[in-house]
Amino acid sequence: MKKLSLTLIAGALVLALAAPSAVSAQQSASILAQATVQTPLTVTGVSNLNFGNVFPGVNPTVLLTDAGAGHFQIVGVLNAEVDVSFSSLPATLISGANNIAISYTGGWNTAANPGAATAFVPSAGLTELLDAATGELHVYLGGTLTVPANQAAGLYQATITLDAAYTGN
Amino acid sequence: MSRCPATLLLMTALTLCTAATASAQGRPLNPFGRQNLIFGSLLPGVRTTVSRLDAANAGQFEVRGQRLTEVEIDLTLPAALTSTSGRTLPLEFGPADGGISSTAVIGASTAFDPRVPVRWRLSTNGRAYVFLGGSAVPGPNQAGGTYTATVVLTVAYTGN
Repeated sequence: MKKLSLTLIAGALVLALAAPSAVSAQQSASILAQATVQTPLTVTGVSNLNFGNVFPGVNPTVLLTDAGAGHFQIVGVLNAEVDVSFSSLPATLISGANNIAISYTGGWNTAANPGAATAFVPSAGLTELLDAATGELHVYLGGTLTVPANQAAGLYQATITLDAAYTGN
Repeated sequence: MSRCPATLLLMTALTLCTAATASAQGRPLNPFGRQNLIFGSLLPGVRTTVSRLDAANAGQFEVRGQRLTEVEIDLTLPAALTSTSGRTLPLEFGPADGGISSTAVIGASTAFDPRVPVRWRLSTNGRAYVFLGGSAVPGPNQAGGTYTATVVLTVAYTGN
């Protein structure tokens, strides 16, 4: 009996001393993570690029200041820099199996005034600041059609798509 | 009757070991938040990163406890910020977005991965400071508004 008692005590001490270091009772604290998201960009197609009635063999041109000029409006955070590009700038207008070649001119202005627009190459896109007071950027498109003398009659059209994104600068 | 002496001695041994552990811990741990993690004003579609070394915007905690005693610190990191209308804005934390130091000098902190627990020995005055950076990733059509989330620091003595 005495031998058994000593063994139990020794075993208990060994177990207690050999116990791995365990993490004790925990305490916690918290902080917040915060952010304020600014206004997302909006891009609106204001008016189509419209050449109107076209005659075979006559190459019409629409100027940026013409009523038929294409017009996009971009609105976002005041004075924010944006990248503007055309994800779709078709080389032809299409009517069934027939097409007409088109070339483009572009201009931009922070005011809705194509007469004072700064020229740019639409296929290259542009990076500009939105207006500091209105948050606006206006993009205008003109162009010229190349219409052969034997061009088939019909309604020719294509879709132009403009993309805009904040740069973060 | 022969059982009684053995039982009494066993309890005494266990009590002695327990008492020894408590005296090593000493002072209770006291963690608290010093500063929120502030991403500030974000533009939709533009990733914004706060460095753990950013004194103005990095999240900050202070831990107080027994001097020169090791603690284990675990951060519970949110996967996203949430607006009052329930919209979410993803967050990302990388291996160097955590910082830990024995002083409040953020530039002197040692980098650690805040996604896993870290062990640190409290300073001679029983302090440790934890700093947190990270990245907010708003989508291009992220709705405007204020987004928040909670970061929790949990700390415990390791016994070392």
